[in-house]
Amino acid sequence: MECAANIDTIQDAFLFIRKTSYDEKRDGINTEEQINKFLDRILELQKYLNTKSDKLEEINNKLEGLSWLNDLKESHLLSINDLIASAKDLHSILIRQYVNLNYLRSKGVAKESIKRFKQVIDDLKENIADIESIFFFLPKVPEFVETTRQLSLIK
Amino acid sequence: MNIYCTQGFKFAFEKLLKKKAHRSIEAEIIEYFFNKEANQLLSGVRLNNSSAEPYIKKRLEGSGGFRLYFLIIIKNDSLYLMFVHPKTGPGGAENIDDNYKAKIYKDVLEDIKNHNLYKLTVSEKQRNIKFNHLSNI
Repeated sequence: MECAANIDTIQDAFLFIRKTSYDEKRDGINTEEQINKFLDRILELQKYLNTKSDKLEEINNKLEGLSWLNDLKESHLLSINDLIASAKDLHSILIRQYVNLNYLRSKGVAKESIKRFKQVIDDLKENIADIESIFFFLPKVPEFVETTRQLSLIK
Repeated sequence: MNIYCTQGFKFAFEKLLKKKAHRSIEAEIIEYFFNKEANQLLSGVRLNNSSAEPYIKKRLEGSGGFRLYFLIIIKNDSLYLMFVHPKTGPGGAENIDDNYKAKIYKDVLEDIKNHNLYKLTVSEKQRNIKFNHLSNI
């Protein structure tokens, strides 16, 4: 009886090991495929983020360009005010997207692309604040306006 | 072009040089400002809506780098560095507020009127900035 029980135990172990060995061999191939797919996805994510960052840099350049416009009329300021509101909306959307990427960033996935994405989002915020100051706040600071006037008189 | 700076700029600049993370500022300034014509420096954000005396904020060394505030008086071929701060790292700030933008603008006007400025030159090897107060020239 004991002999038969031993054989069953051995057989049970053998079957378990054989099945596991087979699964591991089969899954090993699948895992490699999965890693490749995963790496492809990371590359896609990096490309996607870099494309977004490029577009945001273009927006930032356009915002900087606004500061060099001369002879603006009331209608232009109205348009700039609308533009600032849209840009603020865009910034809120982008910040939410960045927060969603935090887990990946903490794991070191697409780290540089995510970092660049955050930097251009921060630049957007800074440019929005600057444009709002230039057209709506600084012209209302008497000291600032007076300094501009006096500088124009310097010989 | 003649390059000058205020006492406030010199102080902020020297403070940055003491921090290892920000020592690149000297090379950045030399590369960006020196041996240039005024029209090559008309980029960044213009804060004062003036074409003849633009007050400019410029990002140096990319997004996370430095923010430089300067004034150009084009007819005099002169540039005045007013303030610098890093965006990140020790002493970093996202931006300066409108009151401070107005303050350093007023300060540079007073310093121009009173000749209370430093003239900037670079060493022969173009590695270091030298500050000479106008009262010593």
